[in-house]
Amino acid sequence: MTTLLDVRDLTVQFALPRQGFFGPRPVLEAVRQVSFSLEQGRALGIVGESGSGKTTTAMATIRLVEAAGGKVMFQGEDLLQLDDEAMRQRRRDVQLIFQDPYSSLNPRARVADIVREPMDLMEIGTPEERRARVTELFRLVGLRPDQLNLFPHQFSGGQRQRISIARALTTNPKLLVCDEPVSALDVAIQAQILNLLARLKAELGLSYLFISHDLGVVRHVCDDVAVMYLGKIVEMAPRDALFDAPQHPYTQALLSAAPSLARRKSRGYVRPVKISGDPPSPINPPKGCAFADRCPKAQEVCRKVQPVLEPHGPSRVACHFPG
Amino acid sequence: MSALLQIEDLRVTFNTRYGPVTALDSVSLSVNAGETLGVVGESGCGKSITALSVMGLIPSPPGKIAGGAIRLAGEDLTQASEARMRALRGAEMAMIFQEPMTSLNPVFTVGDQIAEAIMLHQKVSADQAFRDAVALLDRVGIPSPDRRARDYPHQLSGGMRQRVMIAMAVSCRPKVLIADEPTTALDVTVQAQIFDLLNEIQRDFGAAIILITHDMGAISEMADRVAVMYAGRVIEQGRADDVLDLPQHPYTRGLISCIPALGKGEDTLREIPGVVPPLHMLGAGCAFADRCAYRAPRCDSEKPQLQAHGHHPVACHAVEEGRI
Repeated sequence: MTTLLDVRDLTVQFALPRQGFFGPRPVLEAVRQVSFSLEQGRALGIVGESGSGKTTTAMATIRLVEAAGGKVMFQGEDLLQLDDEAMRQRRRDVQLIFQDPYSSLNPRARVADIVREPMDLMEIGTPEERRARVTELFRLVGLRPDQLNLFPHQFSGGQRQRISIARALTTNPKLLVCDEPVSALDVAIQAQILNLLARLKAELGLSYLFISHDLGVVRHVCDDVAVMYLGKIVEMAPRDALFDAPQHPYTQALLSAAPSLARRKSRGYVRPVKISGDPPSPINPPKGCAFADRCPKAQEVCRKVQPVLEPHGPSRVACHFPG
Repeated sequence: MSALLQIEDLRVTFNTRYGPVTALDSVSLSVNAGETLGVVGESGCGKSITALSVMGLIPSPPGKIAGGAIRLAGEDLTQASEARMRALRGAEMAMIFQEPMTSLNPVFTVGDQIAEAIMLHQKVSADQAFRDAVALLDRVGIPSPDRRARDYPHQLSGGMRQRVMIAMAVSCRPKVLIADEPTTALDVTVQAQIFDLLNEIQRDFGAAIILITHDMGAISEMADRVAVMYAGRVIEQGRADDVLDLPQHPYTRGLISCIPALGKGEDTLREIPGVVPPLHMLGAGCAFADRCAYRAPRCDSEKPQLQAHGHHPVACHAVEEGRI
């Protein structure tokens, strides 16, 4: 297996408004020294709640958000060091599917033009080749060639997401960043899109960086999973290890909070791990473990010393009391 | 024993640019005190319209209740005057909406808003109402409720806002509480907290809860009974265990098997092809026929009626004829 993407100590900061005229400009650290790697043909899921930094991590990886530090090695080349033109050329290898298929397609353009546009911009092939490729992609994602000249509003949400996927595939990318690709869709439609993504991964050997808050979706699509909390990865493991034996209390809480058909009111279920409250503010993150205030296992040391990501069985966990 | 809330043969129509369409068609549901009824289906199936009909909040025009009855403790709400409905809303029945930020007033503190609801229905002083509001905030698990009661909605997190909505909804101890996708806008750990809170409140107050959701997992954790809706009709209903363990209608089976499960699942999810048809395109037959693997000529010509079959009622020709 070859490593496609190797991210080291990625950090993203956002400057906040000045406090007072001459006051200092406080900084919010949305992503704090995040490291992960992704192999060719595999899918890495990043899960976490809103504000955990999962989307920002993905966006900084493909340079749609500026990183404050770290390295993003893509096929051995640091994307963060590329100049604008070199990065523009690299973009054909890295494409993106957005969450909302309603706002991510130009309402005034015909869908064939939307799907063809990346090839026009990258100057790939002759006009005939581009047209043929669009038709081929339409078939690949399960749309009909007679729909090529329609406008986005003539499609349902699931079909629009297929159009977004076709557009992302036009340049033959190696890495596809999927930012909550099914969370705006109805559950029956979600299954259609998830099956499509799984098929494309197998057929085209694509790699996914897959952002989602839904653990069931991640379990279905991803080979490895990273759990983020307040800008840091708190646990990273192969799929089965993470779901069968979660080590970090936050991962355990996430799993027991997700609604499941296995838990029945009639059988009087009790949630195994309950957590209260909301995540702390990222503006002044706690000195110790960010999860300590909500954690059922927290001790004195958790509030003082920040745990680092360390191997624990097949997983890597940032917790003083894993398991 | 007759149910606390009984919807009988409810029919709601809307005037649209395609002409009049039927948003709800012979919908019959009931819920008893202390019980949770889950109403499940994809968007556009009529779940929210059912809830709004009960609350008397169907925008009219274009919508109108064209037939049937909604009985709350025997009283038919479809015949009630607007003044009577105003007296009932909040006091006897209350609703929690999907997006707590848009359902709270941004220019009043949350304590004042809860107190207002209390004063509308009970003869208490403003001071007493505010003290009650603080007690309610405490009850729904908001830390330092004294201080939080003086906060404006934007100062609270999404989960806390939804707790405020719940506090407001239960302020007059309603008999029926309708929760319309109460956790869609929330993170999963906060969703779990809200579900646990709704269950606690039900135990304390004995309210009947109607939970509207598209999530079969939420149904499993929360509901005693389930009604599955499709294109404005109830297509299957029964005890939650029966419907979840022994689903009969092809749509219900599809909804259950297309969920990516947390446990070990199959590699390919079963999918339901196609989408819910728009209401103005419904034909004479079963609305699900286009997406159904068991379609037969009769499905295109005749609407299946909800009738007892096996453990619980289902509306499907294929089930009735023993083809599934």
